[in-house]
Amino acid sequence: MTRGRPAEDLRDTALAEVELTHGLARTWQTPSGFWGALATVDHKIIGRRYIATAFVFLALGGVLALLMRWQLARPESRILSPDLYNQVFTIHGTNMMFLFAVPVMEAMAVYLVPLMVGTRNIAVPRLNAFSYWMYLVGGVLLWVAFVLDMGPDVGWFAYVPLAGPQYGAGKRADIWAQMITFTEISALAVAVEIVVTVLKQRAPGMSLDRIPLFVWSMLVTSFIIILAMPAVMVASTSLILDRLVGTHFFNPAEGGDVLLWQHLFWFFGHPEVYIIFLPAVGMISSILPTFTRRPIFGYLPLVLALVGTGILAFGLWVHHMFTTGLPRVGESFFTASSMAIAVPSGIQIFCWLATIWYGRPVLKTPMLFILAFLFTFVIGGLTGVMVASVPLDTQVHDTYFVVAHFHYVLVGGAVFPLLGGVYYWFPKITGRMMSERIGRWVVGLLLAGFNLTFFPMHILGLQGMTRRIYTYQADMGWGGMNLFVSLSSLVLATGFLLFFIDAFRSARHGAPAGDNPWGAATLEWATSSPPPPYNFVRIPVVESASPLWDSPDALPVATGLRMDRRELLVSTVADAVPEARESSPGNSIWPLWAAAATTILLIASIFTPWAVVWGAIPVTIALIGWFWPKGTPEDES
Amino acid sequence: MTALRCAALVVLALAGCKQEERAMRLDPPIAEAMDAVALMPDGIGGRPPEVHVAMGNPYRGNAYQISQGKRLYEWFNCRGCHADGGGGSGPALMDGWWRYGPDLVSIYVSIRDGRPNGMPPFRDRLTPEQIWQLTGYIQMMGAYSASAAAPGRNDRMFSRPSENRAPAAAPAPGQP
Repeated sequence: MTRGRPAEDLRDTALAEVELTHGLARTWQTPSGFWGALATVDHKIIGRRYIATAFVFLALGGVLALLMRWQLARPESRILSPDLYNQVFTIHGTNMMFLFAVPVMEAMAVYLVPLMVGTRNIAVPRLNAFSYWMYLVGGVLLWVAFVLDMGPDVGWFAYVPLAGPQYGAGKRADIWAQMITFTEISALAVAVEIVVTVLKQRAPGMSLDRIPLFVWSMLVTSFIIILAMPAVMVASTSLILDRLVGTHFFNPAEGGDVLLWQHLFWFFGHPEVYIIFLPAVGMISSILPTFTRRPIFGYLPLVLALVGTGILAFGLWVHHMFTTGLPRVGESFFTASSMAIAVPSGIQIFCWLATIWYGRPVLKTPMLFILAFLFTFVIGGLTGVMVASVPLDTQVHDTYFVVAHFHYVLVGGAVFPLLGGVYYWFPKITGRMMSERIGRWVVGLLLAGFNLTFFPMHILGLQGMTRRIYTYQADMGWGGMNLFVSLSSLVLATGFLLFFIDAFRSARHGAPAGDNPWGAATLEWATSSPPPPYNFVRIPVVESASPLWDSPDALPVATGLRMDRRELLVSTVADAVPEARESSPGNSIWPLWAAAATTILLIASIFTPWAVVWGAIPVTIALIGWFWPKGTPEDES
Repeated sequence: MTALRCAALVVLALAGCKQEERAMRLDPPIAEAMDAVALMPDGIGGRPPEVHVAMGNPYRGNAYQISQGKRLYEWFNCRGCHADGGGGSGPALMDGWWRYGPDLVSIYVSIRDGRPNGMPPFRDRLTPEQIWQLTGYIQMMGAYSASAAAPGRNDRMFSRPSENRAPAAAPAPGQP
């Protein structure tokens, strides 16, 4: 049953401003109350949830890191038992990679991309709701298992045979593998949404060369996710099958292959690094123009560097496996490709430096985070070129040198820009500014604490301290340096604590921000802070790459969208010429039920393969409910 | 509601702890007391050591202990006579038929002291704790019901479904 087209014209062309905003708010709002909150498909609400959840996992993972530093602060310490230490470092790594770094970048995109491209909601919004629930369940699964003393203890990349059926006793490795499945489903879902949103829902006039660079980076990242994540899903599913059903994917005696695991994992695992890094550089490229008061230097090279990094990302996974005894040709090839990645990274660094050089830098907190990034990431990049060479990698493989390297790249390369991004977009999300004074302290403490914590680890690694050891003897001579590292980690932790305090306090009591507190140029600043449920009263029309700077008084707008149903504008891929008005699905509780049914299936399949058969029935029922026509105006084509 | 949820979590926690706990090294007095089985005069059946009961019978329901037992089964060449449990020159261990009874103490004593017609004693080669780990694994091989703590397959050629493809023991044809 669908309602016919109403007699009166309810398109925004025919309505007065007040009537229009009320009508839009009624159509796009999230009903208040418990069920309304569970059923919402508003990308801003889901994005906020995603971001908050990811930062909760960051804090939890940070606590684990402090536990490890407490244990390693002196030789032969007994704070953590060896078994608990194994769980702690595994969950720290798994948590930070799968539950914090990847989801938080996607979370920022879920919130920001629809605003930056000037549309009313993300594409496939119910899938977006579903993906959040899957992510949440995956995280809870990992942490509940840890609390129950059955947390994974096989390292964040869970190499077989250690994680395989013979040596991985109990259900620990299965929990790791199934947590992967949860987070991969959610990541793939978000990636598909972002690709569709960016390619088909851009505001009229936002041709490919006017897309904000953060949006470009998320588009590339989403394609990387779509191409890389299936590899690890195949791997983790094969692992569960080996462990539960007794298949032989990784059993050499029956024709399987142990190295197959490493290939499958790193074919995902290396692009994963860029899944985390590219959104961060996108944030930098989007934030930098605001604080240098000029358009970004080298827009085209930056876009090409993003795309180039995305392609190269798939050609260097083997450098994680240099010590497994590969053929020389393979080692040489992957050494060359690993060093080649420095080219697009270098292009970006120099474009940013040129932007700063030619601009008038305003040293606000987000800008300070970018400077902290430049300093830290360059060190991480240099050690990256070092470990790309086989002879050096053979020496430092699995030592603290590698630990130092990847923390420099991930924290310096991704977390610093992310925190800068949080300071930058916080006013848009909450309508309030974060404290500039505390922000400077946060940058200072993080930069100092981070370098003091992780730089000595390079030296520890060169001295032979291997990663993942739960303790060491006093006569190894690592005690002093480890104590220094542990004390420095407290400085780092203080920085993060201060950041969380500032975020909590500012969300309630921060100074009210206007629509565009930084004087930025991109579309998300064209609407109110926080944005209304429908994002824009009228869809803006874009005439340049910096629309708010080039049309400072009022943006031109496109009209003709209906007010009484959720409707958005579909445009062409290259030039963003409007093509059609398209309905956008309304709120629904069914994504939650579908996620619950999938959860039952996936968790039960840790224990019995029959769960896949019987668990498919509730999943099917939930999906039928999800897609059943409800007779709303959005059902009309 | 909150109390109920907390209670459920505690129960879960306790269950989880038991099945997944890993005690790397026993306290020496406990390790010593592990050998104090009270045996029936005919050498079949008896009472496990009190400390074993006090610890909640860890060798039968704990995934780690069972997997340790499985490793010992390989390392001490139990396969040489019993094959993968199907039996060779020694009797089968997975057909549910036990010459000296299916209880833990009988299996423990069989390994420790040996049995007539070829089963050698292992008391000088294994600690009591290791014998208990092996005992738990062997009893599980011949169990009639599934166990979530059972290990998966080994990384070698396969002659039988892995232990977690339960029920392991179906009475073999021709057996009473």
